[in-house]
Amino acid sequence: MTETLLKVEGLKTYFYTEAGIVKAVDGVSFDVRKGETLGLVGESGSGKTVTSLSVLRIVPKPGRIVEGKIELKGENLLAKSEKEMQSIRGREIAMIFQDPSSSLVPVYTVETQLRDVLSAHEKISKDDAHKKILDLMNLVGIPEAEIRMREFPHQFSGGMKQRVAIARALALEPELLFADEPTTALDVTIQAQVLDLLEDLKKKMGMSLVMITHDMGIIAKMTSRVVVMYAGNVAEIAKTDDLYYRPRHPYTALLLAAVPRLDRKKTLSIIPGNIPNLIEPPSGCRFHPRCEFATKKCEEAPPVLEEVEPDHFVACYEWKNITLKGETGKND
Amino acid sequence: MNLENEKPNGGGKRRSASQWAVAWRRFRRNKAGVAGLVIVLAVVFIGIFGDFIAPYPAYPANGAFGPFYKGDVRTAPNSHYLMGTDVLGTDVFSDILHGTKFALYVGVVVTIITMAIAILVGAVAGYFGSWVDNVLMRITEVFLVFPSLLFILIFVRVFTLGGGAGSSFNFLGISVPFGLTIVVVVLAIFNWPGDARMIRGEFLRVRELEFVEAEKALGAGNRRIIFRHILPNILSSIIVVASLTIAYAILLEAGVSFLGFGDVSTMTWGQILENNFSDMRIVWWAEVFPGLAILITVFGFNLLGDGLSDALNPRLRD
Repeated sequence: MTETLLKVEGLKTYFYTEAGIVKAVDGVSFDVRKGETLGLVGESGSGKTVTSLSVLRIVPKPGRIVEGKIELKGENLLAKSEKEMQSIRGREIAMIFQDPSSSLVPVYTVETQLRDVLSAHEKISKDDAHKKILDLMNLVGIPEAEIRMREFPHQFSGGMKQRVAIARALALEPELLFADEPTTALDVTIQAQVLDLLEDLKKKMGMSLVMITHDMGIIAKMTSRVVVMYAGNVAEIAKTDDLYYRPRHPYTALLLAAVPRLDRKKTLSIIPGNIPNLIEPPSGCRFHPRCEFATKKCEEAPPVLEEVEPDHFVACYEWKNITLKGETGKND
Repeated sequence: MNLENEKPNGGGKRRSASQWAVAWRRFRRNKAGVAGLVIVLAVVFIGIFGDFIAPYPAYPANGAFGPFYKGDVRTAPNSHYLMGTDVLGTDVFSDILHGTKFALYVGVVVTIITMAIAILVGAVAGYFGSWVDNVLMRITEVFLVFPSLLFILIFVRVFTLGGGAGSSFNFLGISVPFGLTIVVVVLAIFNWPGDARMIRGEFLRVRELEFVEAEKALGAGNRRIIFRHILPNILSSIIVVASLTIAYAILLEAGVSFLGFGDVSTMTWGQILENNFSDMRIVWWAEVFPGLAILITVFGFNLLGDGLSDALNPRLRD
């Protein structure tokens, strides 16, 4: 159960822009276990997406992985050649993107699009590909698959498009799927369907899923463990329940307080300030300028992840001294 | 997005809406574009069948001088010689018909070579960026800052002097004049840089689109992304530019021939103009009619190009 599939250690991905070095991901460590759904949560610009692109080694220029270790089933991905990575992408690790209207190739029919992924990795006859594509489209719940596979992406609705994108990502049955805000571009009513589909497929295919999102609701619904990222660092890693009810990092607590709740009359709190400039990030703990518990120590050196209880890590000096309010739900 | 297309197959048949079907519907509504297409089709028809329609065989075959032997040199247009006869005593109407295939040959082959170089250079520069882009674009600029007409004239003269003018070679059973082919190659060599820049720009735009990243994430290599994913997405721009390049190439060859630097043994339209230029005051018909042929053909390709550009431009799609 707790077999590790992916292990990321001390990952640093920097962007060498004209304005300076943007430390988008600066020392991120976490692991993904076999068959689990891991949440990767944080504000925009916290490095969630860059982390996943780094794992696939497709960080766009001028970005570069500077340091760290990325191990898939014990094999170091950073030592692989580009050719080897190409066969890993799609086959072992796949990714789906935020906006299905732009992540599908507009000039190809769905069939061509899916066949393209299959044929990129192995020789496959047109007939076999057709059968496989039909299966895939049924798998992701697209009705009238035989007809619809001959249509173009712009003839599909947003939700259906995302299903096509999911089918494309799952074509080669990867063991690990990164879903980068897969429902952000969709209608709320469609969101639930797509999330259910992902959950279902994950179970069916026995793969691990990394949900990248800023939506705490999706995290609660989908994940078993959560990595909270802030400004290119990991703030907290915990089981989803622990994180919601007993957050240890002040940032996590603020994030939870910023989630609107229908069942409670309270003013929605906001986190004061903005995510820092990552060219010259704040010294020490990157959250300290926005943190009400910050002390002198926080400004001096960045905290490291500490295990506060089994499977619960936090990068905060003050976690012992502060009590944070978590989600108060049915457990209270 | 489009609700109409989301309806299941209730009642009416689904409207096919592939990119090209949509483009064709838009194109049909554009009168100028359709006129261009008609002209181009007519020119192509004459290019293929002109040799059979023409009353006299092609220069320099002996039969081409039929009017000359009858003493009909510099005859004004009449019912016998629709466009008159020229200073050499050949039938201008026949010359124009025979010349159509050369015009098309020049237009099409220059465009194929131009596009091949332009796509290769533009794709590699635009896709890979950084120093590759820098090097390729500086080379492109070197070609752009040449006074190209001057260089074309020099190169054509140098290469055609090396013999071969007048001879022809066989390509897929078609006899192709050697001298004209040299002109074509030289034109293409000086014609690709502008198109390469355009294609580079398109690559710069498309490579940033999310589907490129998505394809990369699913294991597509560079070559696959360039040729299978990006290129088809800019095909519409390439088609438009290609049709304009055909027109430009025909015009340029006519110019080169008119200046007396062309292949003298191949009676292209520009060559007819050049042959009769000194006697223009007498044989105006031998200047006007070939000139009109050039004008109509170039105009046709331009109209077609504009029509295609309107039809294929997604931003204008209604």
